[in-house]
Amino acid sequence: MELPGKGLVKGLAVTLGTLTQRTGTQQYPDVEPDLPPRTRGVIALIEENCTVCMLCARECPDWCIYIDSHKEEVVVPGAARARQRNVLDRFAIDFSLCMYCGICIEVCPFDALHWTPEFEYAEHDIRDLLHEKDRLEEWVATVPAPPAHDHRGEPAKEQTAAAKRSGQSAV
Amino acid sequence: MGSVVGDPIKFVLNWGRRYSLWVFNFGLACCAIEFIATSMGRHDFMRLGVIPFAHGPRQADLMVVSGTVTDKMAPAVKRLYDQMPEPKYVISFGACSNCGGPYWDSYSVTKGVDQLIPVDVYIPGCPPRPEALLHGIMKLQDKIAGEQSGLGGVNRTDVKALTAPPVRRP
Repeated sequence: MELPGKGLVKGLAVTLGTLTQRTGTQQYPDVEPDLPPRTRGVIALIEENCTVCMLCARECPDWCIYIDSHKEEVVVPGAARARQRNVLDRFAIDFSLCMYCGICIEVCPFDALHWTPEFEYAEHDIRDLLHEKDRLEEWVATVPAPPAHDHRGEPAKEQTAAAKRSGQSAV
Repeated sequence: MGSVVGDPIKFVLNWGRRYSLWVFNFGLACCAIEFIATSMGRHDFMRLGVIPFAHGPRQADLMVVSGTVTDKMAPAVKRLYDQMPEPKYVISFGACSNCGGPYWDSYSVTKGVDQLIPVDVYIPGCPPRPEALLHGIMKLQDKIAGEQSGLGGVNRTDVKALTAPPVRRP
């Protein structure tokens, strides 16, 4: 025969136990949220690194990257013929369409695109979510430093190669 | 209307509307999980005066459309929006409800909930962070604070203009 109200007391005991613990509420507008590392907030563009190879626009599963460019002739003194260079006219990412998969950042061969953890860019008009080149460059200031290597992990390939070239063993 | 009511009363009305947003969650996909996370203890949007889980659309002030709106669901979204009393606000939460998102080429997905109902704030993300929803709510509260609303509801853009074809004939 169970005591009447035993279940109630049990439940209240759990409530009492959690009541004495600290609350886990994040005071977001007042306190900066502690975002996990490598948070995917928004994509920043470093324009100087972009060579208009179109890899990101072609790999994008949503086709939300818009690139326009033209070719420019660069006359190099002493060279046999004039060289050609791609000039970026327009680079826009439609963040209303973007699915934040990061494939554009993965494929970029010259690290022109970077993740930043910023998320505060909700808009009243959906057309403002199309971030043009200048807006994408504003995000560069918020790009975090790359994460450190794992403790006791193997060194980076560049480090190993440089050490080999200089005849020393890797760190 | 503002001249009839007077600025102090308008301020009080807008202030009351800002901080008692009874929210009605139109959860249709994974974004709804982020919405629920925002309503729970860790993020707790009741701090901002958003009261979750209105009993139905007739008791709600704010509708958060979170997820993929399909053409089959579209009449229901429209009907429930029409059931809400003025003043009413809509937040489009996530890429799918903004413009179709990854399914923009699908045969069955509505390309954005703004084709059906007027949207006040668009929150980008796939899905957006809970903090992004909090930011969107604050953005909506700023909009309500600056509204020229009197006693009789708010001025809205014509919904028919929203559904007009985006490409006009020359």
